[in-house]
Amino acid sequence: MNQAEQIVAGLGGPTNIVEIEACITRLRTELADSSLIDERLLKDAGVHGVMRSGAVVQVVVGPEADTLASDIEDLL
Amino acid sequence: MLRVLSPVAGHSVAVSDIPDPVFAKGLVGPGVAITPRDGRQASVAPITGTLVKLHPHAYLIVDEHGHGVLVHLGIDTVHMQGAGFELLAHENDAVDAGDEIVGWDPSYVAHAGHSPVCAVVVLDCDPATVTQRAVGVDVEAEELLFEVDC
Repeated sequence: MNQAEQIVAGLGGPTNIVEIEACITRLRTELADSSLIDERLLKDAGVHGVMRSGAVVQVVVGPEADTLASDIEDLL
Repeated sequence: MLRVLSPVAGHSVAVSDIPDPVFAKGLVGPGVAITPRDGRQASVAPITGTLVKLHPHAYLIVDEHGHGVLVHLGIDTVHMQGAGFELLAHENDAVDAGDEIVGWDPSYVAHAGHSPVCAVVVLDCDPATVTQRAVGVDVEAEELLFEVDC
């Protein structure tokens, strides 16, 4: 799996991702069910950290966030 | 040693005290935040380098050694979709520390319901290498904010 695919898997798969957008160093995602997150998979994908508040989950990925977000959107 | 200048004039605060958990926990990297002075102003480049990312509310400059410094103007200001921000430079420009990058007004951000506090963060850097962190003092734009050796 490439990094985008790993992140999608870590966020519970494509059908769990309601919305995703990038903000310079982080992906802001809205998930259908945030309990489906697999933090270990996300860490394996090289993310710096995961911050949850309800359905909104921020994944800190570094400056490649814009590119990653469009790669991820292609997978949804 | 990388010298990071303040992009705005204001009052410095610990990044751990700002209302953004990702910055506050240092997930992006260590840094310092500034409560900016009110009024229309230009936010400047904190270091010399290449402006690799430029959004209305945030920008990232990477120096010749690969150090990246992120300036984020206000909290959750991505939701403003650029309203009230004016780009004064272009993505991929070579910029000198102190060059004007984004025109904005912190009180406009506050009226839009967001904190105007600015985060200045060094990416992928060990917090232990940050020195001379000026926190709780007034700073001018282009004044030395902190130094980092990583």
